[in-house]
Amino acid sequence: MITVLKPGLLMTIQDKGRAGFRHLGVAQSGAVDRYAMTIANRLLGNNDNDAVIEITLGLAQLQFNCDTVIALIGTDMKAKLDDTPVYPGWTYTVKQGQILTFSAARNGFRAYLAVKGGIICEQVMNSRATDLAAGFGGATAAALKDNDTLSITPYSQSWPKLGALSPPKRNVIRIHPSIHANLLKQSVLDDFCVKTWQVTPQSNRMGVRLQTQSNQLTHSHSLPSLPVSPGSIQLPPNGEPIVLLNDGQTTGGYPLLGTVISADLYHFAQLKPGDSINFSYVDLATANAAQAKLDAHMQQLSIALKNKY
Amino acid sequence: MNSNATVSVVILSSNSVHLDATHLNDDSLIIQKRIWALVSRCNDTNAFIDVVPAMNSLTVYLSNPAELEKWQTTLAQWWDEIDPQQHQGTHHKIITHYGGDFGPDLNFVADAHGLSPKQVIELHSSAHYQVLFLGFQPGFVYLHGLNEQLHTPRRATPRTHVTKGSVAIGASQTGIYPADSPGGWHIIGHTDFTLFNCHANPPSVIQPGDTLQFVCLESAL
Repeated sequence: MITVLKPGLLMTIQDKGRAGFRHLGVAQSGAVDRYAMTIANRLLGNNDNDAVIEITLGLAQLQFNCDTVIALIGTDMKAKLDDTPVYPGWTYTVKQGQILTFSAARNGFRAYLAVKGGIICEQVMNSRATDLAAGFGGATAAALKDNDTLSITPYSQSWPKLGALSPPKRNVIRIHPSIHANLLKQSVLDDFCVKTWQVTPQSNRMGVRLQTQSNQLTHSHSLPSLPVSPGSIQLPPNGEPIVLLNDGQTTGGYPLLGTVISADLYHFAQLKPGDSINFSYVDLATANAAQAKLDAHMQQLSIALKNKY
Repeated sequence: MNSNATVSVVILSSNSVHLDATHLNDDSLIIQKRIWALVSRCNDTNAFIDVVPAMNSLTVYLSNPAELEKWQTTLAQWWDEIDPQQHQGTHHKIITHYGGDFGPDLNFVADAHGLSPKQVIELHSSAHYQVLFLGFQPGFVYLHGLNEQLHTPRRATPRTHVTKGSVAIGASQTGIYPADSPGGWHIIGHTDFTLFNCHANPPSVIQPGDTLQFVCLESAL
């Protein structure tokens, strides 16, 4: 068992999320950085989709009430297991009673903590991910709070020290073309890519909200509701784009500036208020090549870990 | 009138295709019936992770991204072939307590239109509504068919807490809150009907393309 001593800004149980229920208004949920989550699981010999803890910003504390092995992937929150530093990218064996403490992240926003065997909780609609808005999934159907307990299977055997590199960071996010190019003027689409955008404090797991100086993207279009999904970039009339993330709604009435390619969506996990990003339209071949490269990175990890356990 | 010729089917991402029929000249309900029929044809294949209708549009999320262009072509072709009457939804009766503590805004809606509360109930419960699509939150149904006499601008100040099961009117729409949430619609009644249960299969009893009517509790007894 793990006891949450301090959840920090936001701590949730996540897996890859819910698929196949968007037509009923159900969000995907799941780890914003699914690759970090997967890498953490693989280092422990878990299933890729085992439930992990998503930590936001840090300032959190967990106590382990049994022996286990952990893997931490994501931004560096200067974590310590009792007094020993815990670096992202590696496995650590944990003894019953030890306390894992996170300071604040400086260069990113989220980290993923996997435990040997995964966090044990009931699947809701085929997923253990927490749907924060609707209030189901995860260990408690909500964000974790002080004194919540998480069920895990004790593991006292030895486990090798394993490490993994995460895919590199990007500042220019590649996006599929707008399906509303005829509605929005070409100058709006051009301007969107020329400008550097800042992440606003109103951003969350539903979406990253963006601002820039001398914004020229305001408009007065309102559309009949259309399906949207994580990666959809909505442009509300105020001209401040919203990149929908895992907890985003299933339909919306704003024009779309484009869709973040699947290979670049995980970068939004590490954007915190005040960070800057740029966007660039790419063709389908580029998007597919980027995904293939990412898949190859994950495949290499699997090969490297073979026979290491 | 020609709804066949000009539907737009575009690639949205590496694994999704979007069909847009919003610009066609047909009545929006006729177009939506065609969308439902197309959804049901898509669901008969195993090609999709999800088939998501919205207002006169549809997005399919593919299991196999290599089939992207194939489905772009196929959806346009199926749109031309589809029989809008093909989809037969289920009919649901929503037993509703109108007014009083169950519907704190019933009198406001009545006053806004120079109607009696009884007339509002009569107009609201005599209509047959079509479930256009679901969205906004799990199990929230967008309904077509609210009598124009009941169209009421949303509340100037949304409530921070609306109880699950509240039956409400917002602008030209009526709906039911599937869970406790904030909300800006006028609450005219309440139902014990469970719209969404995350442990049930399917979790939402009501599906796109279904029909429903509100039945006033007093007349149901």
